[in-house]
Amino acid sequence: MVGGAALSFPPLRPLIEQSMVWHMLVQMPLLVLGGWLVAGHWWTRQPPALFERFNRFGLTGFIVTTLIAGYWMIPSSIDRAVVMLGTDMAKIITLWLCGVALRHSMQRAPLLVQVFFLGYTLPMMVWLGLYYATTDLRLCNAYSLESQLAAGKALVVLGSAAGAVWLASLWQRQSQTAG
Amino acid sequence: MNKSSSPSLDPTDPAAGLLPTFAACLIALVVGFGFVTSATDRGRAFTTENLRRSEVARQPVSIPDFTVFDAAGRKQSLRELLTHENRVWIVDFVYTRCQTVCSSLGTIYQQLQSEIVARGLEGRVGLLSISFDPANDRPASLRDYALRMRMHPEAWQIVSLDQTQDRRRLLDTFGIMVVPAPLGEFEHNAALHIIDGEARLVHIVDTTEPGAALELALSR
Repeated sequence: MVGGAALSFPPLRPLIEQSMVWHMLVQMPLLVLGGWLVAGHWWTRQPPALFERFNRFGLTGFIVTTLIAGYWMIPSSIDRAVVMLGTDMAKIITLWLCGVALRHSMQRAPLLVQVFFLGYTLPMMVWLGLYYATTDLRLCNAYSLESQLAAGKALVVLGSAAGAVWLASLWQRQSQTAG
Repeated sequence: MNKSSSPSLDPTDPAAGLLPTFAACLIALVVGFGFVTSATDRGRAFTTENLRRSEVARQPVSIPDFTVFDAAGRKQSLRELLTHENRVWIVDFVYTRCQTVCSSLGTIYQQLQSEIVARGLEGRVGLLSISFDPANDRPASLRDYALRMRMHPEAWQIVSLDQTQDRRRLLDTFGIMVVPAPLGEFEHNAALHIIDGEARLVHIVDTTEPGAALELALSR
């Protein structure tokens, strides 16, 4: 998480300013992962009852996660984060919260809800990645077309990999309860 | 039903504890969509380029003054050039060293120039190319570019900023972002900018629609 935030500041900032891959596929996932890990660490025993009340079956957390992640995938948001520091700080905070919400929800969501959520979000990521990788139109004013193509391909990989990891964890849980 | 303050995880009545969750979901959706809607001009513009264009269409931007020089090395005020004789201008941004994208923009301007000259519209519409690389584009480079592009000065001119430090303000005014590309080239959001007789940016047209840009300019 600290690594993710550090990418927004010098001396590392040029990495995200010049490469969409670093911005979208390194920093953003790092921030989400940071939230995920911190939430796991804080709540080793029992998450606060307040959260439990508002996030039955993980519904709210999933919606929040989708909205936040979706917002930061919009090309103009990415541009704004590159150019305006205030937006960039908001991005860091909201993506971190996104990781927290995701952790809380994944812990308590029944299989059906997980399928619904991931079955929407992951294909959306892959679709968006394919679009970024194949369109001639430069979507972000802050990044070259080349950077956009690379980011698109990486997004497809990330979405597919996340799907594979999730399926593997399900299969593993299945074989554990069966055995 | 017993609505206790602690969450009800009673498996025999799963609906009891869901109200706070549904309320939270609803609030999240409303807030989230609110943000997305306001950031995308009510769902119409997902790219910064489209946002820029719709903003200008709603609210013209007054072009501040800069000192520029033309291919002959004459210094003048940009605002004076733009407001002279109440002409409407179609402005684009170039750098003379460009080998790639700019050639297509150059061709578009050549076509526009032919049409303006053929229809005798020089008094009403002018084409202006502004260099965003003032450090390298001094009068000699502008002259070469003008010759290469076969510019007729009555219809099409090229200028460059006198002070390189004005570059940022000029680009910000128009909303142009320049990204360095390999081989010393630049990538930038190219478009046709319509400036009215009072030096206000009133419309931004895509480079794929030069005809529309010309008609818009003539209607001012």
